[in-house]
Amino acid sequence: MNQFITAVLTSLSTGAIYALMSISLVLVWRSTRVINFAQAGQAVLTTYIGYGIIQKTDSYWIALAAAVIGGAIIGAVIDRFFMRPIFKRITSGPIALIAPVVATLGLLGVIQASIGIIWGISYQSIEAPVSTDGFDVNGQVIAFNRFNLFVLVTVTLTMLLLTILFQKTNIGLALRASAYSPEIAKLSGIKVDAVRTFGWAIAGAASGLAGMLYIPGYYLYPNAMDLLLVFGFIAAVIGGLDSLIGAVVGAMILGFGLSFSRTYISTEILFPTAFILLIVVLLIKPDGIFSAKKKRGA
Amino acid sequence: MLTMTSSKRRLITFVIIGWVLLLISDRVGPLRLYQGSYVATYTLAVASIILLTGYSGQLSLGHGALMAVGAYAGALAIDKATLNPILGLIVATFVAGLFGLILGFAVARLSGPYLAGTTLALAVALPTLANEFEILGGQQGLPFDVGSSPERFGEEFSQYKWYFWICALAALIMIWWIANLVSGKYGRTYRALRDNPIAAELSGINVGRQKVIAFAISSGAAGLSGGLLVILLGGVSPSAFPLGVSFFLLTGAIITGLYNLKGVILGGLILVALPEIADSLVSRIGESEGLTNSLPDLLVSALLILAVVFTPNGPGQILKRHHSK
Amino acid sequence: MNKSIRMKRLSIVSAVVATGAMLLSMLPAQAAQTTGVTSSEIKLGISSPTSGSAGLVYGKVPGAMKAYFDYINANGGVYGRKIKLVAKNDKYTVKGAAASTFDLVYKDNVFALTGALGTATHQAGYKAASLAAENVPDLFVNSGWSGFNDKTAYPTTFMVLPTYAMEAKVMAKVIKDNFPGQATFIVAQNDEFGDDARAGFGAAGHKFTREFFYPQGGMDLATGKTILSAISAVPGKPVVVLFGTGDATVAMLKAAEELKLTKKFTWLAGSVGADANTLLALKVEPETIDGVLTASFMPDAKDSTDTYVKQFMAINTKYNKGVVFDNYVLAAMNSAMLTVQSLRAAGKNLTRDGVIKAIETKGSSFASAGLVPLGYSSTSRIGYNGYWVSQINAKGEGKPFGGKLVIYTTDSGTGAVSVSNFVRPTMPKNGIPTNS
Repeated sequence: MNQFITAVLTSLSTGAIYALMSISLVLVWRSTRVINFAQAGQAVLTTYIGYGIIQKTDSYWIALAAAVIGGAIIGAVIDRFFMRPIFKRITSGPIALIAPVVATLGLLGVIQASIGIIWGISYQSIEAPVSTDGFDVNGQVIAFNRFNLFVLVTVTLTMLLLTILFQKTNIGLALRASAYSPEIAKLSGIKVDAVRTFGWAIAGAASGLAGMLYIPGYYLYPNAMDLLLVFGFIAAVIGGLDSLIGAVVGAMILGFGLSFSRTYISTEILFPTAFILLIVVLLIKPDGIFSAKKKRGA
Repeated sequence: MLTMTSSKRRLITFVIIGWVLLLISDRVGPLRLYQGSYVATYTLAVASIILLTGYSGQLSLGHGALMAVGAYAGALAIDKATLNPILGLIVATFVAGLFGLILGFAVARLSGPYLAGTTLALAVALPTLANEFEILGGQQGLPFDVGSSPERFGEEFSQYKWYFWICALAALIMIWWIANLVSGKYGRTYRALRDNPIAAELSGINVGRQKVIAFAISSGAAGLSGGLLVILLGGVSPSAFPLGVSFFLLTGAIITGLYNLKGVILGGLILVALPEIADSLVSRIGESEGLTNSLPDLLVSALLILAVVFTPNGPGQILKRHHSK
Repeated sequence: MNKSIRMKRLSIVSAVVATGAMLLSMLPAQAAQTTGVTSSEIKLGISSPTSGSAGLVYGKVPGAMKAYFDYINANGGVYGRKIKLVAKNDKYTVKGAAASTFDLVYKDNVFALTGALGTATHQAGYKAASLAAENVPDLFVNSGWSGFNDKTAYPTTFMVLPTYAMEAKVMAKVIKDNFPGQATFIVAQNDEFGDDARAGFGAAGHKFTREFFYPQGGMDLATGKTILSAISAVPGKPVVVLFGTGDATVAMLKAAEELKLTKKFTWLAGSVGADANTLLALKVEPETIDGVLTASFMPDAKDSTDTYVKQFMAINTKYNKGVVFDNYVLAAMNSAMLTVQSLRAAGKNLTRDGVIKAIETKGSSFASAGLVPLGYSSTSRIGYNGYWVSQINAKGEGKPFGGKLVIYTTDSGTGAVSVSNFVRPTMPKNGIPTNS
């Protein structure tokens, strides 16, 4: 029983963090039709900024705020000054689909290498802001602590905020419209470029949050978020790249799948499990679980 | 003079290149031979990516996994079935090709990013799978021994020259075959496929089938390059093909130009030369831990961005512009 | 294509060939002297991880060795020659080690390698650089894999660490003597590191209640919690053997902290991953490491009453500024001392063959900080062959378990574990070898 409860609890904690990353990826995909590999770079960069702030102020909370705001700014800057010129230059041909993605891959490398040169590549650590001792439930210490709870609550709140943003606000509507059909959106007066930059900003904020929530359990180094990127991407694909809800559901499925496989099968087959989950889902639904069937969808 | 068809011309060009390489290999030291072997291996890998992504339009992030399949198949053939190393490499090619065929079927329905995601997951999953099976040698892996050169080449024939011969010849033969493939009917089919799949379908091309075939051939070439790579490493192990390999090779392919096999050797050369250039830069600027470790990656990534932004269709683009002036 | 273009192509190709042949024939013949040795310098090379999770733990090794070499250089060097250590970061990967080792031998042209770190990594490096064919001495590798003690496969290699199999056998004895009747578990890497350990425990006849393996680099908090929740219901105070690298030990202990299970188990941490200083530096609580057992073949790095420790500490302060002295620095400097003695023993006319022969004939009497004997001979490439068991306290000091220092020696096979009366050679004055 103990094992089962532990498995469920770790699923929730890890799934929540995967969700933040997959949300970022889906946000960018929906607004730009690009897989932003640089998201991992953005996330780790904002976390280094957070680390720097903790060194100066000893406050995780200030660092967290800075990481989120910084993430938004960095995301916007990347779209405005990096992606937009690329889209303007490469408008046709088969390369048009591949070039932006490859560019983000290059950007990821540049960001990580720059961090390595500036901060060095040795492992640093960020302490969790709240206790990491497991909660005591009826005398039993469970594999869930205050920090895990904090992560879970934060991610849920973020999800709610984003849903409200997309469904209930004008800008949310603009975001959805520009993603679905840029030309028509432009005709109806939407500043498509600005809206897209806004999408990147939100994604940047989400990944900034992801970094600060993820690193306290691990170490901080330039490639620290690579694993999260891979899992976030797989989660987003499982859920369907066009769906924010899919991103969260996919992340939870992945989190649960990995936890349970680690508990009940073996501690060694983390990646094969992820792959099998992915391929099973895609064989049944090639565009992910919540794929919009080429029709209007949220 | 005999009529020079383009395929005959290609054959002669490749033979000449091979001859030149063999001549050079007699005169250079182990360092250049070792580097040359890497150039040959990477060039072959890049060629396979060009075939898959450039010609048939399928973006795969999992080339490392395909190379691993070939490497393990070859290692098993040599180690357990005690086959001749050359046969081992042939086994590597075929098994990887077969794997690619099956994989190609499985992912045929997947579009761009979904295919990318699946191949990415494969790239991280496959090496760790090798750990699970006793016969694959676990974390230690299997040796990939091509032995030393045959006696009749004489005593002076160094180990590295032997590696270079194997790598260069294998790469030449495979690339020549792929070049032949894409220049003929298949080439036109792939270009049609890539530029306008709907029109291609309408004109009778079985899009699905062509994509799967491309996947299979590309995987075979990747498998062969995987076998060559582990020759240089001494053996195959789960840590020989990390995710970074796939990205690294994709970079080489983009820099070379995804849409044309001409000049594919440029990709191989750059992938080997860049870390060296970075190293000499570092020793000139002055060592700092961060710089030593990160400068090569910075250069490669920066070059990737420049390549994809300014010459998305390959460096040939710049040349063409000059010609038309 | 028309004739002129075809002609152009052929002429370009032939021009390239001709130029190439000309240039290459102008290369000077290689001077016939020992690679890496000049009248003023001896070049040595080390391939080890200084970044990543392995670098977190072993990153200090090259710097510590260099500090000792600097000290020797300031005191006359080796027969007047200064030692230059070229260090390359192989990132603890097979490819990294293959490239680093190759570069050290063929680009940097080192005389010998020393302190190569890692098992799978060094196996690759050895092969890729053809160390056997080139007869490059491969001194004092930082790995306990018993396979390196094989003159046919690794003719130029000398081990220094006792093998993991030896450590496992000593651990098995400790468990049997002190914790009879308790359940036992092992958490280890799923590669030759863990395999060697398994072989050792098996040879000692020890069976674990349950074994847990993880891929190298794959031990994190979540995995640690999974393992602990699987075994937390076992009655009594089970013994948990942590046979992994430092970062893995840290992950397991921190997972235990979060689940409040630190005192539920008796922790037996393998020497590779149990430097108390490192554990504390990586934020493991002092109460957690209090009582943890580990095995060592060196004096504890905090024991300033030990002559060797004191000397190495002094060298560290002067030549390795800013680096905290711990068991890894101690072991690295010790290896550097062995290296210097090997170079001296080979004589003023330094050759690769000479060094190898020197260690075979004189190596077992080299001065070193080790509390167990060195086993070099014409048939054995094994360095130290035993351990003593220490218990860490909350201050990070390792004291003999049970109060009295007992040294165990054994082999990597089925030989028994016996108590040894070994007394180590006195340290040469000021830690500067004068052997020949």
